[in-house]
Amino acid sequence: MKNRLLIVMTILTVLAPSLLSALTGEEIVRKADDMQIFETSEATGEMIIKDRFGTKVSTFNSWSRGSEESLIEFTSRAERGQKVLRTEDELYLFYPDAEELIRMQGSMLRQSMLGSDVSYEDMTGGKDRVSQYDVELLGEENVKGHDCYVLMMTANVRTVPYPKEKVWIDKETFLGWKAEYYTKSGRLLKEIEILKVEDFDGRLVATETRISDKMKTDTETIMILHDLKIDIPIDDNMFSLEELSW
Amino acid sequence: MKFLISLAFKNLTRYKRRTLITAGAIAFGLMMYIFIDSMLAGAEIESVRNLKWFETASARILNDEYWENRFQKPLDLSISNPDRIIQTLENNGIRATKRIVFSGDLILNADDFGEDGNLAATITAIDPVRDFRVFGFGTTLIEGRFLEPGEDAVLLGSWFAEDIGAEVGYWITFVTRGNGGFYEAMDLEVVGILNCPNPNVNRALLMMPISTADEYLDMDGAVTEINVALPDNADVPMEVERIQEMLNGDNLTVMSWEAMAVDYLALAEAKRGGTSTILFLIFIIAAVGISNTMLMAIFERIRELGMMRSLGMSDTKIRLAFMIEAAGIGIIGSAMGIVLGILANLYLVNVGIDYGFLLRDMDIGYRLQAIFRGVWNPGTMIKAFFIGVIISTLVAWFPTKRALKMDIPACLRHQ
Amino acid sequence: MNTKLIKTALRNISRNKRRSILSGTAIAVAAMSIVALFSLIEGMTDDMAFNLKTYYTGEVRVKHIDYETYERYNPMHLTVDWESVDRALGDEKTVSTYVPRITFPSNLYIGGSNFGAMGVGADFELEADFQDLASSLKAGRLPQNGTNEMMMGAILARDLKLKIGDRVTVMSTTAARGTNAITLEIVGLFAFPVGALNSKYFWIPLDRAQYFLRMDGGVQEVLIKLKDDVTSRGAAPGIKAAVENIAGTEMDIRPWEELSTTYGMLKMAQMIYNFIAMFFFLLGSTVIINTTMMVIFERMREIGTLGALGMHGKELIRLFFFEGTIISMIGSAVGVAIGIGLTLWLGEIGIDYTDALSGMDFEMSAIVFPKLSVAKTVFVYFYSVAIASAATFIPSRHAAKIEPVDALRYV
Repeated sequence: MKNRLLIVMTILTVLAPSLLSALTGEEIVRKADDMQIFETSEATGEMIIKDRFGTKVSTFNSWSRGSEESLIEFTSRAERGQKVLRTEDELYLFYPDAEELIRMQGSMLRQSMLGSDVSYEDMTGGKDRVSQYDVELLGEENVKGHDCYVLMMTANVRTVPYPKEKVWIDKETFLGWKAEYYTKSGRLLKEIEILKVEDFDGRLVATETRISDKMKTDTETIMILHDLKIDIPIDDNMFSLEELSW
Repeated sequence: MKFLISLAFKNLTRYKRRTLITAGAIAFGLMMYIFIDSMLAGAEIESVRNLKWFETASARILNDEYWENRFQKPLDLSISNPDRIIQTLENNGIRATKRIVFSGDLILNADDFGEDGNLAATITAIDPVRDFRVFGFGTTLIEGRFLEPGEDAVLLGSWFAEDIGAEVGYWITFVTRGNGGFYEAMDLEVVGILNCPNPNVNRALLMMPISTADEYLDMDGAVTEINVALPDNADVPMEVERIQEMLNGDNLTVMSWEAMAVDYLALAEAKRGGTSTILFLIFIIAAVGISNTMLMAIFERIRELGMMRSLGMSDTKIRLAFMIEAAGIGIIGSAMGIVLGILANLYLVNVGIDYGFLLRDMDIGYRLQAIFRGVWNPGTMIKAFFIGVIISTLVAWFPTKRALKMDIPACLRHQ
Repeated sequence: MNTKLIKTALRNISRNKRRSILSGTAIAVAAMSIVALFSLIEGMTDDMAFNLKTYYTGEVRVKHIDYETYERYNPMHLTVDWESVDRALGDEKTVSTYVPRITFPSNLYIGGSNFGAMGVGADFELEADFQDLASSLKAGRLPQNGTNEMMMGAILARDLKLKIGDRVTVMSTTAARGTNAITLEIVGLFAFPVGALNSKYFWIPLDRAQYFLRMDGGVQEVLIKLKDDVTSRGAAPGIKAAVENIAGTEMDIRPWEELSTTYGMLKMAQMIYNFIAMFFFLLGSTVIINTTMMVIFERMREIGTLGALGMHGKELIRLFFFEGTIISMIGSAVGVAIGIGLTLWLGEIGIDYTDALSGMDFEMSAIVFPKLSVAKTVFVYFYSVAIASAATFIPSRHAAKIEPVDALRYV
């Protein structure tokens, strides 16, 4: 299987590729893909969530392997020890005080994670993104000083949450700087924007990302990754259910 | 016998005032009984009607798995060929309409509502043409207009509208998941406000045209339910079975309104117990009123009874005479009571007692309109009539019997 | 003069015992039913008030100032500091008992699916002074503070097919506006006198709720019961001032009557009951009026005799009035006494409405204990006497007007 590490690893492990590795034409697809192949990754990070009641910060450690396995462990006081495990097919939540793992399925996936602008579903989708979306190159635009391709991706299946995605992919580095999610009729649902990147031997990885749910009033979530390491050895059992409850 | 009857009749007309007072007691008791019975039965019938007209219809066709998962309002557990089914039903003389029910977040825009906000809500998408043949919303419009097929519009229940501060002409946004799980958001204009007599509905109602919903939700013509109206006198379980047969093999289930509202019906059944307690108490007071007046009337006439005995009338005949007279009073009183009851009921049935403003914020279990309305219940009236006559007649029996045991001078001296 | 009339009236009454008893019983039955009905209503409304105060609002409720504004968004983080509220309330003279509570919407994760339910975090030691928890316990025991235990509404447990000893994972939104889950063991099943509580709620120790919901020392609300001699409206401002003074923040502290939905419900129930009571009154009055009128009309000949003996119209009216009044006083007294007896008896054993109320979202207990209202009972007594006495006027005035000769001929 092809391993890709997403730009916003951890929480956005899968969300990000659905945004940023958008492909239009073989070339852009291949190059954007190439940019994001990571064997493994590890990072600490924080999530700054702003909503109508104010701002709160959650910190976490995260690991990922390939594009489909990831683990987040929260370290901030309010949710210390809580884990979110994504395996190839499932999403599990581990709570230190709960004796059983909670398998997220169906409408449970639509809940927001820790009250952020990211839903659990955002973390799971996008597996066969290319087969699920028709991609159209709209043109080119400059985003914060970066020349980007503008691509419109239109879902050809109903099972993806976002029927339309508009992405801005850097012409040089093939990094997706910005993405907007729309309903079929074109109403803006979510907006994602990369604020900071880090250079790993010429490959750019986003370390600060802003996500904003446009269906809620005045909310945004900022994800920051610190100490990002890629292609490092990771315990094979890291992403198994047995390990989840240690 | 004829003599006795004419004697009784003469007595009745001669002592008009006594007759009137005694009959009045019976009449009033009966009227009260009829009135309260009408009110309670009215509440019950009205709430069943409100249930059928605004919530359940007579029966509903659903996907086999829908009912079990109904709280999630799943769009994928649907009926894929509703029009064909409706056609089949209509060919068999059954009125039917399709609906799509889905839930999501209602987003209120500060432009119209003064403050941004969102709340969970459920939309019922209806066929603007057919729905009124099955449900009773046709007469509930109090502002604006009804829906037109294919428009981006919504009707609100009046309490719901009041709750969120919506007026005709405002726009709302509804964010939901389409069939398959994709996000969809729709802007809908409030074109009308319905005052639905079913408080449970009126408190939460949002209605849009089914064609619009079909498009937004990508239903490809599928619907979540088909509602069926059956005549009031229909044998619902039999009809349900008949419809089920028409649908054979489509993975569809037909549910009667009783099956859907089973909790509600259990409640109604239990309430009937409480209702009968009240009726029983009313009956007791009325019965005591009737028998006391009647007893008094007879005791006061023991002297007269002594006179009849001294003149040689047989005890049997005397007793019969008194009982016929009492029955006569019972008949007069009961007849008056029924007339009064009908008059009171006319008001109750046609105008009703309005107390809806109090129901505003609560769920008392009865699905009632703001108005307590009575019903015509001929059974109760006939029953009440006979009870009135029988009580009066029976009550006359005891004092007469007693008087007949006394010796004649004692009777004559009796005060 | 009047004493003579009263004596005559008394003699008349005792001379014709049967007639007196008949009209007396009519009055008595009417008075009794009305007293019984009033007591039932009193019992029901009292009970509703008690349930509202015990389970929902207290007599005075302390909440975060903004809680109600954002209630729609389930603002678990809008809490009040229990320690300072506790300190303030401990010194308040109007306060009898008070308990901290946290009510949180949650999902019970059972067999891979979520089931919605309401959790209540309560301090079971403090609750012991606030309500009779033990009597509400249907099976098992109360959870202990500091342990991962819960008690569950008996109906909810039945619906979810759970039993004592089962462990249930509860998921909820926390005060940190995140989510959390905790597994608790069911140690008891409760049946509160309010159906809705039993079909939707489970109770856990307050400290576990605070920990689980990340509330630190905060609680969602404090319910206060007051001493008997103070009213909630009267005491609330003083409590508010005292609590805010110690806590140093403004809070939403209001008497239960002002917590609109609940109190409105009570008012509405009262109205419906009074509506039914009105019918009883109407019917009772008719029975009284009817009987009294009957008695007098039946005695026209006697009136003629009295008139022939020189008794004047006014005296006649007075005589009958006295007679009627005395009978009705006795009848009412007997009726009210029986009504009181019945009420006290039913007040002991209660009337079981369990079947009639299950499934109803209504703050009424399944078993209603009729309660005597002294004021209303006294009112019923005087009302019955007044109606009966007044009822004598119509026929006796009529009687007073007619000539003795006509009256003697009267049939």
